[in-house]
Amino acid sequence: MSSLVGFLSLVFAIGINFYLFLSRYIFKFQKQKFNLFIRFSSLLTLLSFFSLMYAYVVSDFSNYNVFQNSHSNKPLIYKISGTWGNHEGSMLLWLCILSIFSFFFSFTKNIEDNFQKLTLIIQAFLHILFGLFIVFTSNPFLVNSILVNEGLGLNPILQDPGLAVHPPILYAGYVGYSIVFSIAIAGLFQNTDDEWLYVAKKWSLISWTFLTGGIALGSYWAYYELGWGGWWFWDPVENISLMPWIAGLALVHSLMMVRGEQAIKKWIVFLSILCFSLSVFGTFLVRSGILTSVHSFAADASRGIFILLIFFIVTGFGFLVFLLKEPKKSNALNLLFINKVSALVINNILMIIATLTILLGTIYPIIIEVLYNKRISVGGPYFNSTVIPIMIPGFLLMSIAPILSWQTNKINNSKKYVLAFIILSVLVILQSYFLDFNTWGFVGLLLGFWIILASIIAIFSSYKIKINIKFFKIINPHVAHIGVGIAIIGITCSSVFQNELDFNLNEGDKFNVNGKTVLFEKIETTDEINFQSLRGKFLFDIEKNQSKEIQAGKNYYPVSKMITSEAGILHQWNKDIYFILGDQKNNEWFVKVLINPFVSFIWLGVIIMMYSGLIAVFRR
Amino acid sequence: MSLRFQRLLLILLTLVIILIAVLLILYNTRENVSYFYTPSEIDKSEIIINKTIRIGGFIENDSFNKISSSSFKFRITDEKASIPVSYNGILPDLFREGQGAVIEGAFNNNDVFNATNVFAKHDENYMPASIKEDLKDTGYWNKKYK
Repeated sequence: MSSLVGFLSLVFAIGINFYLFLSRYIFKFQKQKFNLFIRFSSLLTLLSFFSLMYAYVVSDFSNYNVFQNSHSNKPLIYKISGTWGNHEGSMLLWLCILSIFSFFFSFTKNIEDNFQKLTLIIQAFLHILFGLFIVFTSNPFLVNSILVNEGLGLNPILQDPGLAVHPPILYAGYVGYSIVFSIAIAGLFQNTDDEWLYVAKKWSLISWTFLTGGIALGSYWAYYELGWGGWWFWDPVENISLMPWIAGLALVHSLMMVRGEQAIKKWIVFLSILCFSLSVFGTFLVRSGILTSVHSFAADASRGIFILLIFFIVTGFGFLVFLLKEPKKSNALNLLFINKVSALVINNILMIIATLTILLGTIYPIIIEVLYNKRISVGGPYFNSTVIPIMIPGFLLMSIAPILSWQTNKINNSKKYVLAFIILSVLVILQSYFLDFNTWGFVGLLLGFWIILASIIAIFSSYKIKINIKFFKIINPHVAHIGVGIAIIGITCSSVFQNELDFNLNEGDKFNVNGKTVLFEKIETTDEINFQSLRGKFLFDIEKNQSKEIQAGKNYYPVSKMITSEAGILHQWNKDIYFILGDQKNNEWFVKVLINPFVSFIWLGVIIMMYSGLIAVFRR
Repeated sequence: MSLRFQRLLLILLTLVIILIAVLLILYNTRENVSYFYTPSEIDKSEIIINKTIRIGGFIENDSFNKISSSSFKFRITDEKASIPVSYNGILPDLFREGQGAVIEGAFNNNDVFNATNVFAKHDENYMPASIKEDLKDTGYWNKKYK
């Protein structure tokens, strides 16, 4: 029953959008009526999504999708998240978020009616494309042809609270770029004033903040669930999410800087189209099964071709408009050797090169296979040694960019900065002299600290310190950069100064980690609702009274006959101690202990970036 | 500095950045890319010692040997050829005999492949599309692998 409701409301929503799309050419609408229709179709899409969720929650196995991906003994949260834990459901989520964005956009005040209408019509067009894709190739409301009373279960590795919320947030980022895309195209068509730039800035900040959150959640999940001790693996899917993120960052910066210059306006439109194209292209690569990874659900060629078609329509249409239409009413570009505009230009060039480098590395294996019929894999080393060096000049520039001037080549207080930089370099050299010297570690630490320090100097020397909301809005760009600096320190320390220890242990053994004694207490097995768990229990720092317990082990899921590793992590502010329980022979267990310094700084940096992304939304 | 000169400098700087990026990419696509083979594609006479490659196939039945809790020996096969592998560390959760796996590492002197990484896929039925095609070509194709 719920499947029928879901399917009908989906089809009805697509129908309304088709009607709205035609309204551009055939029947004209009042603004009020038009917006009502948009909102109604959004609600219908939501209804469709919630009826699928309902089918999951009540374990309605007459729905084929539920039967394939759910099981009645799963905890409720994973029944809900199971809705988007599969291809069909996740595409419906995609469409749902698209219409939520349209819904909120229809409430935007103080913008020109025709511009708003055109933006929503383009949104309606996208809704039709993806809606048809769902109906024809990935319908989640198919009826199960056999009568069953139990489902096949959700992939255990996806049964995790972090991963339950990761897809909706990530998708909110990806799909958010659809509205930026629509705004940019509508802005080119309508072309009345520069109002669209302000609107686009707001929405691209929202999308970027969601995307940041989604990526961070994903890598946090990889960190504690995959049990490899790292949090970024340059997996194709990670790359795919990183590309629109970097392009989106370039877009946000351009939008912050634009003062009506013709060249930058054009560039903004280009970036807006690029961001959404990369989002759709990423969906194509993942869903078509060309790239295989954790995220590729059952691959199906027809889906890939359909999405490729959508990609070509969206990108082709976008870039065609981009080439034909010119933004009017523009000022000349005030480009000097080192002022805000030139810093912005260099920053954007670097980001686009970084995006292209990642894109190349991601699709390089496909190209080679097609051309030479040889198979290769491009892994972490390629990306580390191309993307990072390309970004370094950008990081250097970042520390001084906010205090550059618009009109001249002057840097205010330049002596202070030079002095601070020299002192900092000496300190970092001293630090690396006493610890192990490592080039990347040195560069990373210097950059991270320098960005933080330069931003703090800029805050204190350029503004009067006041504690009110206005002040926090003014210093927001510097705050964002401090967040980046903190994240760079975290990334550098956790990857360069990671320490790995291997042990072969019997129960009751004591061993030494980082100068602290650890007791391998016992191995324990228990039965949970839908899995069995095996845990090694460790007591960290037993010489103190408050020793901490760490549990590392494995879970066995009988429904899907799968084992997942569960790393045991002791979080401290300056390091994570990461236990992985390996195999055993004759009751001797292999235990791997990783000491990851300053991992918490990465998450802290990301949170600061997201905070200032949100603050910037409210800053005119 | 005149305005024109400043712009010229900027353009030059941009070109230099792009040039560096291109050189980095070219260098790294030669150095940091590992080739992927199935066991039968590996020609014993052309083995380069200590060059990192990847091998994809199945873990041969009855070949798995646990030497200690962290040291393992097994063979990887595509039914035409099979290659002995030694590995130290933690095997992935889905590693078992008869399952598809991809191993990364290098040959040492005595024909044993020293794996530094073993990948088994998260999905039970998963197999990289490339291996699938190869196995279909060689006729070794188990229906239970989707």
